[in-house]
Amino acid sequence: MSEPLLEVSQLTLDYNLGSRKMRALDRVSFSLDKGQVLGVAGESGCGKSTLGLAIIRLLPKVAEIRRGEIVFDGRDLLKLSEAQMDREIRGQKIAMIFQNPQNALNPVFKIETQMIDILRVQDKYQNPGNRKRRQDFRQQAIERLKGTGIADPAVRVSNYPFEFSGGMKQRVMIGMALSSGTSLLLADEATTALDVTIEAQINRLITELAAEYGTSILYITHNLGVLSEMADRIMIMYAGRIFEMGWTKSVLGSPRHPYSTALLESLPGRQTRGKRLLSIPGFVPPLDRLPGGCSFHPRCPFAEEVCRQEVPPLIEVDKGHWSACLFDQKRGRQKWKWI
Amino acid sequence: MEVDLIQIKNLKTYFFQGKGLLSKLFGQGLRIVHAVDGMSLTINKGRTFGLVGESGCGKSTLGNTIFRLVEPLEGEILFQGRDVVKMDQKELRKFRQKAQIIFQDQFGCMNPRMTAGQIIAEPLMMRQGKQESQKEIEKEVAELLNAVNLDPDAAVKFPNEFSGGQARRIGVARAIALNPVFIMADEPTSGLDISTAATILNLMQDLQEKMDITYLWVSHNLNQVRYMSDDMAVMYLGKAVEMGLTSEVFDKMAHPYTKALISAVPQVSPGEQKQTIFLKGEIPSPINPPSGCRFRTRCPQVFKRCEQEEPPLTDLGGGHFCACHLHNSH
Repeated sequence: MSEPLLEVSQLTLDYNLGSRKMRALDRVSFSLDKGQVLGVAGESGCGKSTLGLAIIRLLPKVAEIRRGEIVFDGRDLLKLSEAQMDREIRGQKIAMIFQNPQNALNPVFKIETQMIDILRVQDKYQNPGNRKRRQDFRQQAIERLKGTGIADPAVRVSNYPFEFSGGMKQRVMIGMALSSGTSLLLADEATTALDVTIEAQINRLITELAAEYGTSILYITHNLGVLSEMADRIMIMYAGRIFEMGWTKSVLGSPRHPYSTALLESLPGRQTRGKRLLSIPGFVPPLDRLPGGCSFHPRCPFAEEVCRQEVPPLIEVDKGHWSACLFDQKRGRQKWKWI
Repeated sequence: MEVDLIQIKNLKTYFFQGKGLLSKLFGQGLRIVHAVDGMSLTINKGRTFGLVGESGCGKSTLGNTIFRLVEPLEGEILFQGRDVVKMDQKELRKFRQKAQIIFQDQFGCMNPRMTAGQIIAEPLMMRQGKQESQKEIEKEVAELLNAVNLDPDAAVKFPNEFSGGQARRIGVARAIALNPVFIMADEPTSGLDISTAATILNLMQDLQEKMDITYLWVSHNLNQVRYMSDDMAVMYLGKAVEMGLTSEVFDKMAHPYTKALISAVPQVSPGEQKQTIFLKGEIPSPINPPSGCRFRTRCPQVFKRCEQEEPPLTDLGGGHFCACHLHNSH
């Protein structure tokens, strides 16, 4: 039996912007097992990035966690002090990589300077009292670069970020972020800015390193294709709520929520030329003006009166497959087609 | 019978770097970027031609050269039989009424101080030979907004008040304002959400049908090119490596680069095991492209001849072209 590494329950978060209160996460509950890859998908504004930032506690000041728990390795991260987060969690047990490696690297320092900084901090908490020399850290940085598949790491380590391509910068970020001590990797659109051939390389690198270190991954992306190939389980989010969650094969193969179905049918994947794509009517509602009941009801062709009144609970509709749709729950399992 | 709308013959666009004083004095440091290096292709009327390749392969430069936003070094661009390269300013103006661009950065190509109505009206007012009243133009703008499924109120809003998808529609409305016969769409759905992208694709297909527009669809998204285009070319370092009917290229892909590129596209296919071909390294610099076949440094099937000799684009039959020694028996 696999044991959970991360258990998020009832996480609710608001952004307080003056008089406007935006609910970015609404009672989000899920768990992630050790060594597992959980994909988080959804359109912009659905709260998927906020979720990643909340776990590593890098939220902007306007964010306020109203309720919920984020239990990681048996401890509630929300109850830890900033110092504890720095010492034990951030960059130590939980690492994060972002979409834009350009912005994560300082352009005026050499790669080695930036990597040594990180390694030194990681080492300071892992082996207190044990003083290493700069040379040792530099060697370690070269090892890390080598591990991410950068050719000529001993030379490249003294380059500046501008001498690296986008894909190589992302490799550097992965080299900095992932170590044998990392038990959870948060990847937020980590390959979105890259070309497909490079994207495939980077995703393979992430998967291989994670497998080597036994790291679990929370892979945030809007690209369902990537998740289909990488994720063990998938979570579909909309307007701060989880709409559907389950094993990749069942969520993508037989989705239960109309929103998930719609997302899949609007992809030009293997659709034949000339056949119209599905486009969901309307738009994602602004978070401070969410409709009552199911937040998807104004765009959903199956919506009934009850959908306008009640917030659908996320319930297990099949073994390990959860969905939050009243229509589906009432009618039972059926495959629907969008009109 | 289909008619060629655009015929490009041996087009080369180079960029020269390091033309500063120092390199002039010492005659060194002049670097030539071979952005487009001998492309020939034909775009047929009423069809969509997809152009794919990784960033830096020259696909956007090729598009920009067709409009002479960048001057080519040599080659011909025949548009309805007339060579765009040789056109003077007056002719070029006429050509640019018939040919339009939808840019990748939907906000960057709109003046933030102009309303959407003014942005769409601009090409209408530049139109030659016809003086129209403000009222008539307003009416036309309303029709155009309607054609791209935007509210008529949108005319008085500024670009920052629109979402990405809406801004893209304004770009489309401006492009179709002068009833063009040809539109180049450069990554028309980049940065858009899945369902918004689907709306734009549907819209552009409808417009194509209604107005008989020919598209040049520049994208790195292979799924989209497969869905949208009739013909396609795969570019690598300024050259076409494979070209033909989209269905042929996908079903009978011949070039190792095409195979790797297509295999790398993440597909939603739960439960299916896909064999991804991983390419070594990254696209080399177009300043010093590799000798012989340009793809040889990353090719999994490279052999001796690839280094010495550049493979020509040869017809594999039925207008399916490929530039690879594996398919060239001579």
